Amino acid sequence: MSAPTLSPVADGTVLGDGTTAAGRARGRWRRWRWVVGIAGVLAIGVGISLLPAPTRSVVPLAPDNAGADGAMAVANVLREQGVEITYVRGAAQARAAATAGTTLLVTSDWWLTPEQSATVTGTAADLVLLDPYTLLTDAVPGLETGWSGGASATSLPAACTDPDAEAAGSITGSGSGVVARDATGAATDAPDGTTLCFPLPGTEPQAYLTSTSEVDGRRVTVLGDAGLLTNARVAEDGNAALVLRTLGRNPHLVWYVPSSTDTSVEAAAPGLGDLLPPTARVLLWQALVVLLAVVVWRGRRLGRVVVERLPVVVRSAETTRGRGRLYRTSRSYGHAAAALRAGVADRCARLLGLPRTAAAPDVITAVARAAHRDEREVADLLYGPPPTSDAGLETLARRLDQLESEVHPT
Amino acid sequence: MAITWRAVVLTALGAVAVLVWPVPGTVLAWAALSVVLCVLDTVLAASPRAVALRREVTGPVRLHEPGRSRLTVTHTGPRRLRALVRDAWQPSAHAERNRHRVDLPTGESRRLDTPLRPSRRGDLHADRVTVRTLGPLGLAGRQASLDVPGTQRVLPAFASRRHLPSRLARLREMDGRAAVQVRGAGTEFDSLREYVIGDDVRSIDWRASARRSDVVVRTWRPERDRRVLIVVDTSRTSAARTGEEPRLEASVEAALLLAALASRAGDRVELIAYDRTVRARVAGVSGPRLMPAVADALSGVEPSLVEADWPGLVAQVQERLSQRALVVLLSALDPSAVEHGLLRVVDRLASRHQVVLASVKDPETELLRTGREDVAALFDAAAAERTELERSAVALRLRGHGVEVVDALPDDLAPRLADTYLALKAAGRL
Repeated sequence: MSAPTLSPVADGTVLGDGTTAAGRARGRWRRWRWVVGIAGVLAIGVGISLLPAPTRSVVPLAPDNAGADGAMAVANVLREQGVEITYVRGAAQARAAATAGTTLLVTSDWWLTPEQSATVTGTAADLVLLDPYTLLTDAVPGLETGWSGGASATSLPAACTDPDAEAAGSITGSGSGVVARDATGAATDAPDGTTLCFPLPGTEPQAYLTSTSEVDGRRVTVLGDAGLLTNARVAEDGNAALVLRTLGRNPHLVWYVPSSTDTSVEAAAPGLGDLLPPTARVLLWQALVVLLAVVVWRGRRLGRVVVERLPVVVRSAETTRGRGRLYRTSRSYGHAAAALRAGVADRCARLLGLPRTAAAPDVITAVARAAHRDEREVADLLYGPPPTSDAGLETLARRLDQLESEVHPT
Repeated sequence: MAITWRAVVLTALGAVAVLVWPVPGTVLAWAALSVVLCVLDTVLAASPRAVALRREVTGPVRLHEPGRSRLTVTHTGPRRLRALVRDAWQPSAHAERNRHRVDLPTGESRRLDTPLRPSRRGDLHADRVTVRTLGPLGLAGRQASLDVPGTQRVLPAFASRRHLPSRLARLREMDGRAAVQVRGAGTEFDSLREYVIGDDVRSIDWRASARRSDVVVRTWRPERDRRVLIVVDTSRTSAARTGEEPRLEASVEAALLLAALASRAGDRVELIAYDRTVRARVAGVSGPRLMPAVADALSGVEPSLVEADWPGLVAQVQERLSQRALVVLLSALDPSAVEHGLLRVVDRLASRHQVVLASVKDPETELLRTGREDVAALFDAAAAERTELERSAVALRLRGHGVEVVDALPDDLAPRLADTYLALKAAGRL
């Protein structure tokens, strides 16, 4: 073989497809740019969602919120004092973490569903409820939320013998308080085992900012003003003393900040992913990559699919079948019988050498003689009245076949 | 870019790495390694556009006979060519073994033969040639599809040629060489020869015998140099399927047998395929060049879904034929189509020419006619009977206009038409 010929080749030889690398690249870009664009947007979205979450949250009353409405100061002091804090956002997690001998802090009951309320009060842990509404009645029967009327925080002196309250002396607070009512809704004294403290001035019936109850062997503390915990106000008066003593009662504190997106009650059953060993999970990712490779391998065809125009398929007997179906659906025995008879008569006449224009009597005579049959019988068979039923048509067809088989040219 | 099974195996080997370091990063790293290797292999692969391709296709072959497409691959690029070449043809060419592995150093070439087994008459076209070159690792490569035109012409099968020897024998008998032929209209004097036992005594030429010591008989032969015009109807009625194939296939077979027979009998054969325009034409060809010309013309004829233009056809026939001829219409004896088409113009044809209408009968109708299984079959049988009666009625009307009608099953049409031709010739009616 001589040196390769790169010149435009004669004799029908084809070299390349007349495209340039730049042209092909342009074409590919034009074809794939939408895909690339969408994939890029998706990648950016995934990247953003995978960014590490900020360590400082902005959730009000969260233990990791350093803002004015956060409670990081209290949480840090508690941690320094050896209290282990578990921060949860779901009712199911709260329930799982709140065992007997722990303290469960519920910062608000605004987002709690009735089932979740029942879940929270159903734990064996000591409860600390901040500014509760419906949760209060669930937790301590006989206590209700009462409106204080005051908007601005005022200094409130302790008016009870609860050691925590006495240690605090006075606190700065406002907001809804706690009122003791009986079943009819009339104001009563505090139920047994309940200490109401820090009376709110100017309320009728008398409301108290805090209450401490012993219910079913556990302690339920209500702080009517959630602001007591906040970084902004924890340092005022005896707020810190009251809050720290209340929350630090047990070595383990479950800090539950209800979330609007959480509706869970039961802890989710461990899924397949939780049961798999970590290696298997990584292997699954690897399998996904292999699958992708298989898709790419099989996805590229060796050249396009070749198509071809094919002739239409119209069966020649289709019209005959159609006519038969028409006879059948209209139960057209007369037409069917006439056709069968004419066919037999035509063939017999041809067999016997009669002209096609022969009249019916001639055909009858000739056929009767050839088949050695009575003329009237043949006439009835070939030109008689039409059948009126399936059975009649079948009988006629059978007799016609028999007659045809008996006709032999003499 | 295209990857091979090796690339998939390479990716799968990542499982081993994952077992050693079971962290998600391993998966990512291995995938990245695989991608890098594949891209590298692609870059190192020879360019598929640096491959010079030339195609040679066998000449016309008969239907169902093997053809061959030969690609000459010449490598002009700088890197060694490891490639997979696909020589694609349209499906009815049945180019099944059309993938070829090629390993060529620069400047060398190789022939790649792809066998074809055509299952369809006409021109079969090659599609693109796809060249997929692979890199040195065999992981991935580049691919290009190139237009390398090629056409395989497929002639009609001419299966009816098996009937030709017997019909030629009959023709020789008629030619007087066997001397059993008596004189009739349309025959011409051939020669005198010695009487042999068995000859018809009526053909003894007494005057010639008197001049010689032997008894001499006259022999006659049918007239030669008559004109035969075969018209293949390619209109909608030719598209209907009888048995496995469209009606047109039987018409083509019959046309081929008749053309072969008539040209051997010394007649001048012309052929047109017509629906609303002339689809194919053979005229002015005789001798050994006739049959290839007819087969070639008929190879590309296909049914078209239009109504036949019979007045136009008559005009065509009259334009082509100045003297009396045999006009063979390979059409369908379809009652409504004949009623509205041929019957209106048949007199203009039959008055000047001997017209033969050859039509394919549907074997399925015969099957339906004898069906007696249940009442539904009886109704179908009645419908088939009615169809047959209508066909024979319209055939009768055509015969009344002097047209010979040949109505036969697909396989029988060609020999029956040949027999009709011989009978007409023997009777001197050409």
